[in-house]
Amino acid sequence: MEGPPSGESSSLQIPAANTENPAGFKGGLPAQNDEEELVYDFQAFIAQLKDPQADPVLRYTRSFLHNFTTKKDLWTCEEQQKLIDDFKLFVYGKLALYEPFKSLDSGKLLNAKEGIEKLIMGKLYARCFSPCVENRFNEKTDKSHREDLERDEQLRLKRDEYSFIEPEMLEIPESLTQRLSKFTRLSGRELARINEYKAPRDKMVCVLNACRVLFGFLKHSGLENGGADAFVPVLVYTLLKSDVHALFSNLNYTERFRFSEFLRGESAYYLSSVQGAADFVTHLGHQSLHIPDELAFEEQYTKHQEYVLEQRKKSAKESATEPDTGPLKDTVVSTASHTPAPSEYIRRPLDEATSAILSKVSELFISSPPAETTDNQQERSPSARLSGEQSQEPDPAVLVQELQRQENQRVLDELHLMFPDMDQDLIQDVCEAKKYRIGVCVDVLLTLSS
Amino acid sequence: MLQFKLVLLGDSSVGKSSIVHRFVKDSFDEFRESTIGAAFLSQTLKLEKHEDVTIKFEIWDTAGQERYKSLAPMYYRNANAALVVYDVTQPGSLVKAQSWVDELKHKVGDQDLVICLVGNKLDLCEDNDTVRQVDMGDAQIYAQEQKLLFHEVSAKTGAGVAQIFQEIGEKVYERKATESAASTAHQSRKPLNVELQRPSTNDSTSCCV
Repeated sequence: MEGPPSGESSSLQIPAANTENPAGFKGGLPAQNDEEELVYDFQAFIAQLKDPQADPVLRYTRSFLHNFTTKKDLWTCEEQQKLIDDFKLFVYGKLALYEPFKSLDSGKLLNAKEGIEKLIMGKLYARCFSPCVENRFNEKTDKSHREDLERDEQLRLKRDEYSFIEPEMLEIPESLTQRLSKFTRLSGRELARINEYKAPRDKMVCVLNACRVLFGFLKHSGLENGGADAFVPVLVYTLLKSDVHALFSNLNYTERFRFSEFLRGESAYYLSSVQGAADFVTHLGHQSLHIPDELAFEEQYTKHQEYVLEQRKKSAKESATEPDTGPLKDTVVSTASHTPAPSEYIRRPLDEATSAILSKVSELFISSPPAETTDNQQERSPSARLSGEQSQEPDPAVLVQELQRQENQRVLDELHLMFPDMDQDLIQDVCEAKKYRIGVCVDVLLTLSS
Repeated sequence: MLQFKLVLLGDSSVGKSSIVHRFVKDSFDEFRESTIGAAFLSQTLKLEKHEDVTIKFEIWDTAGQERYKSLAPMYYRNANAALVVYDVTQPGSLVKAQSWVDELKHKVGDQDLVICLVGNKLDLCEDNDTVRQVDMGDAQIYAQEQKLLFHEVSAKTGAGVAQIFQEIGEKVYERKATESAASTAHQSRKPLNVELQRPSTNDSTSCCV
């Protein structure tokens, strides 16, 4: 399992290098899209990288990571972006020179490029993802990274302030309201998973899945030609009603560190849409809403603010009584807000597969132990901690399978919840036919249920 | 294949999405490659004036409701072309389209963007010209002054729709051709000057991050 099951956007599509999933596996269900379903295979890439002939590529990568982490402690965001982009361009060029990459077909070559991006961003995450940067460098953080955090905070406050609003205040058609909250909640949960991944591609897929759930819903509510007029209000509603930590940080990170060639087409459209919607929420005021009854609204608003205040007091009390959980505790408290601890950003177990695979090749990135220890001490960042926990080294193949199983089960459970009246076996059949990609599954199940 | 980003702007009632759906539906192409139903569509197009040139449009729809206007910049950044749509049967519709044109010119700049002004719902005026509320001459003069492409179309009958995309396609393609000729003449580097030492294959002091 390498990242969330994706939709079928062209820019995210990676041909299967995995023979366990033969492409012909499709049930007799309504085909949503005839494009071949493709699977991204990080393990295959790591296997290629371990090939002795790939040694130059490995050395280039190692040298880049070394320089990035030792030349300067804190690069600005713009510098990071340029360095990483330049390196990708450079090393992607080198893939054409060395086996086994040299003789890969274009699809598998793309997989290798994705693999490199995932590898380096996994290693540099703690230095590039704004909430992690903040935790490492605190007040030294550069402007762009700091702005991400400020915007996250603004968004959170606005969301609290206006989370009570009704669909019609955003001009969402009445025909949608009945099932609206069910689907926006599901979409919000998919989006929230953006915090469970480090690779820009994986984060992108979470955005895509969240949007696809909404499109499936719109399509089956008679708004298939509604375009952005129908989509944007529902997306804004989703953001208001769901709790996605550090959304701006995540979106900006994805935009900065996803290789520009991969960031186009449908996925770029969705990323921009979510950015736009998040921006809308950040600037939300009475004037941006459709308010039929001013007085009633004011009343609702005041009542809601009291509720929010109460909740805040309550959670402040709770966190005060909580036992000190770690050395990061005081930095969290000092910001006096709901900034999650860094470990919350990479929750188990989704990125564990990546870590497990990486720990297998970690010897490739380790050389002289003395240099290692000094670097590693400052490096006790969430990602380092995470990979440290992998020291017992489970077999990656087994772990990957187990995580895939868990992820499939999660999708299945979500869908049972969404379609309680539908036959469980049928849901499972749909999931298997559609490879557990939640956006597509929702679409198919809606077709079947109507 | 060259790809171009085209953004759709206009009020919710002017039928901007219908124009695109009509274009995609009527397109006869051997490489059907469009994702229908969403707010994002892609469609390939063979240019009539340039033999053997096929381009791909990535069409980005925007929300037309006034309250969502502030989202538009997220959509039109890096666009190659914009379709600004108004409704010929709605008084005041052209004025709203003009404010989009102003915003685009102000925020994006002419040199990077091909703008096409489109009056939709022509079919409604065909039998009964009293329905028309926006004079074609007025729109045309405005478009000339602002150096915009201009068409009146009917998404319903399909009249004029194909021409818009042909014309935009030619224009963005020609711009791209001149541009790439110019950029090969003098290669420009990114302005930001940060470099690590060139990654090398014989670096003995490697580390684990």
